[in-house]
This record gives sequence, structure tokens and C-alpha cells, in this order.
Amino acid sequence: MQHHPLASKVRDDFPILKREINDFPLAYLDNAATTQKPNCVIDSLLDFYSTHNSNVSRGVYTLAEEATEIYEEGRESIAKFIGATDSGNIIFTRGTTESINLVASAWAQHNLKTGDRIIVTEMEHHSNLVPWQMAAQASGAELVYWPITPEAGSTSVGLLELEELEELLTDSVKLLAVTAVSNVLGTVNPIAKIVEMAHERGIPVLVDAAQAVARMPIDVSGLDCDFLAFSGHKVYGPTGIGVLYAKKERLDEMQPFQGGGGMIRQVGRQSSTWADSPQKFEAGTPPVAEVSGLAAALEYVSDVGISEIQKHEKELTAHALNRFAEFSDLELYGPQDTCDRTGVLSFNLRNVHPHDVAQVLDESGIAVRAGHHCTQILHERLGVAASVRMSFGIYNEVSEIDRLFSSLDRARDIFLD
Amino acid sequence: MSTNSIYRDLLLDHARHPKYSGCLEHPDLKASAFNPLCGDELELTLALSGETIHDCRTQVRGCSICIASASMMSEFILERTLSEVLQISKEFSKSLRKDTEDIPETIESLRPLIDLKPHRSRIKCMRLAWDALEDCAAQHQT
Repeated sequence: MQHHPLASKVRDDFPILKREINDFPLAYLDNAATTQKPNCVIDSLLDFYSTHNSNVSRGVYTLAEEATEIYEEGRESIAKFIGATDSGNIIFTRGTTESINLVASAWAQHNLKTGDRIIVTEMEHHSNLVPWQMAAQASGAELVYWPITPEAGSTSVGLLELEELEELLTDSVKLLAVTAVSNVLGTVNPIAKIVEMAHERGIPVLVDAAQAVARMPIDVSGLDCDFLAFSGHKVYGPTGIGVLYAKKERLDEMQPFQGGGGMIRQVGRQSSTWADSPQKFEAGTPPVAEVSGLAAALEYVSDVGISEIQKHEKELTAHALNRFAEFSDLELYGPQDTCDRTGVLSFNLRNVHPHDVAQVLDESGIAVRAGHHCTQILHERLGVAASVRMSFGIYNEVSEIDRLFSSLDRARDIFLD
Repeated sequence: MSTNSIYRDLLLDHARHPKYSGCLEHPDLKASAFNPLCGDELELTLALSGETIHDCRTQVRGCSICIASASMMSEFILERTLSEVLQISKEFSKSLRKDTEDIPETIESLRPLIDLKPHRSRIKCMRLAWDALEDCAAQHQT
């Protein structure tokens, strides 16, 4: 069978993939946690620190101007990548978690009151759950859970049903926070439709795009979402850099997140006034090198082509789904059809703890994640404490998935009598 | 099983057939420990006669290393005093540090666990039962 050529084309761009782990070539299948970095991203960090390093917006000398240009050009290219018409809607953060916390603190706490509701789903990552719990506790609002479809015996496993949402969208709902792609089930949620339904009732929507950004096209203008958050490191960029997109109307409703340098207009002895957005939300020295690395990563992804990435991931996912069907002792969570899901697959090997499975796989050079993947509510719903997760990136090959399934035999040999 | 496998026979034996598994109905001391990284949990129940642990049980929802460590700990602490086992737990903790090379004779029997210390992500699995034990000892002191 002819496989999609993407992986073989890009693998050489990622130096870490040449590593051997426990005498086996590294099969890195933990891309939902973080992705590996191509040379162009590593080079951009190196180039910034070796050639342009200085602080931004605070100097008139050449280096400071270069750094400021790199930072603001990065903002432009990131805006373009996610379809934002104005780079002023792009706020840099440390990651998805900080982006969501920023909204919870700078927007929700000032716009929610007792009796208000925030809709979240049962498949949210803790980063799109705990900030809302904190905002709710501070404002007297409450969280309402949009349940996932039951797992028993149907093909529509781990999906969000729009009919359910219809019921939940009452007048007291002031925000809907939902992930575009589940970091456990791999489910791809119908975000455009969800935003449309919420907006019909004037309810703002925050989209957690942490898993989506490296796997599908993002178009905030087309989606018309109010907020969208993602992390650089999950889209082949550096750690420590995240993005929050916020619509103009929402930005106008937001109070500052943190106080400090860079976010002020004028400082008086007792009080201060704020800079315009997005600087209003970027107190302190920003992550300039990381922005340059993220811009390089997004350019790399655009050059590879999001549609090629999607085709490749679909092939890997279809192959993995077929392999799962061969084994009755493997329980896979989430949709069974590639139309509803992407290349994030969580499972359990019956009677073997996920930690043990992951450890045995590591002995064969295969990197997967074991645990609850920051989704305790979802795992409770699935009726398990933890799971093993494999998740694909652009460099993964069908043969690596096959290696994983072969290595599961070792786990069976060791742990099952 | 490959020679570099961390799953030595002794550990596997404890993991498959854990000693003193379950809960005491009327414990003198009881503590739970939780691993927030993976959601694993453990409950330790102890029966004392004076200062001495004369019975114990662990109820574990965890990986093989966690179960094996709880099982080995249970064997180890029976008929020892709380202050003695607290000292042992501290020594075990110290021996799991990266820079500790010598293992005191008193905890030689825990060597199969200590040998796993290069796998830093599994330290918490090994420590879960011992954390509960330290909790019990602390409750007793107050």
C-alpha cells in the first residue's frame, strides 16, 4: 500500500527524531502533549538570541527596534494564520492555560454575577474547566456541563449533540467554553455550528484550539468565535508562548489581567490608566524569542500545507482504528469513525495499568502518554481512572503505529498470567 | 522479558499477588494518598498495639509499581513501631534521591524498588503507600 508521503518528506527537518531510546529508534506518539520542533524553529530561537536579542518597545537603538519588529511581525503572521483581520486582536500569553485564565480573570469575573451560568463540556481539559470554576466561585455563577454521548454500543461515542446544547442555552448562560478537538477522545466538535447557536442567543463562545491548531485550518473570522486560545508548543513551536484571540467587542469589555510595565498609559501615585489592546494584557517583558519561534513554526506548517497534514493524519488514524479492531482486549475511547475524530487515540489494555503499558512501550522506544491527561471529569465519565494515549504529528509513520501494537504483546506477556 | 526491563520478578510477584491487600474493618489509623498526575489512589489502614503496627492493609488503585511498593511496605512494617517505620520511610525517600548512592542496610530489602529510581516519573508511584504511612504516623503524633 502506498502511504501518504508527508512523514518521509518532513522527518529530516526534526533533529530529535534521529534519537534512539533504549536502542530503538524513537517513535514519538505524544504529540497531543507537545510536538517536536523543526530546524527552522530551533534556528529562529538561536538567531534571535545570537543576533537580535534586546527588549521590545523600550529602546531607540537598532537592536531594540529589530526585536520590536520581530515581535510585532510575529503578531501579524499569527493573526494571518488564524484568519484574524487585525493583529490587535492577538494577545501573547504563556500558553493555552494562561490564555483561558486571562479571559476568566479579565473578562468573566467582571461580566458574571450570581445566577449566571457558564456552559462547559464533559470533555474539557482542566485548563478549560478550572479557570471557569474559579471565575464562577468569585462571581457567584455556576458551571453547567454539556454531556458527551454515552459510550455503550453506539458508533456516536464521545460526541457532543447539538440537541443537548439547545436545551442548555438558557437566558442565564453568559459564556460557552468548548474545545475544538478533545485531547483524549480525538473528537472534532462542530465549532461553527456551536458558535452559531450560542450567538443566536447572544452568548459569547470561547474555543480551546490547543489540539486543533496543528491538525486543521483555524479561521476565527469564519467561525466568528469570541475568544480562541492555543499554545505554540503544540504546533511545532517553542514552549512558553501562547495566543489568545479576542474579538474587538470582547476586548472592550475586558479589564487588565496583570499590572506592570508595558500595559500602562500613565501611572499616578494611587492609580493608573491602561494602554490599548493588546498591550493592555501583556504586562512585563514579553516572550520575544518565543514569538519569533512560533512565527517560524506557523510558516513551516503553512508551507507543509494544512490540507496535506489533515490527509496524512486521517490515514494514520484510519490505520490505528483498523488495528484496534483486531484486539478484543483493547478498549478505545471516542468516536470510531475518522469523520468525527482526529489522531488522538486513548485506550486501555484490559487488566494492565496505563503506566505499565506506557513503561513497556518506552522500553521499545515508543513515547506515549499515560494518565488522565488533565481530564478527570471525562475519565470519571468513561469509568476509568486513567488511559494510554497515542497522538500523531506530521512526522509519524504507519510503521510506528504497528510497532506500538506489536509492543503491546510484551505488556501482555509481562503483566497477564 | 528483556534484561533492561524494570519489571523484575520480585516486583511482578508482589504486583500480581499483593500482600495485605484490602481494608481493616476497625483500623486505629487510616490515611489516603493520591497521585494527581495519574489519578491513582491508595488507602492504608493500620491496627496498633501500643506503638507497634500489628496489622495493616492497603487498598490500591494504581500501577504495578504502586501495588508492589504497597505490598513490600506492608511486609516490612508489620511488628515495627510507628517511629521506627517513619525513620525507614525517610531513609527510603533519601535513597530515591538522584545523588544518593549508598543504601542503608536497614532498607536493603527495598532495593528492587530503589533500583527503579532512574525512572523518575515512577517515584511517586513507589512513594504513594509510604506517603500514606507517614500521614498515619503524623496523625498518631498529634
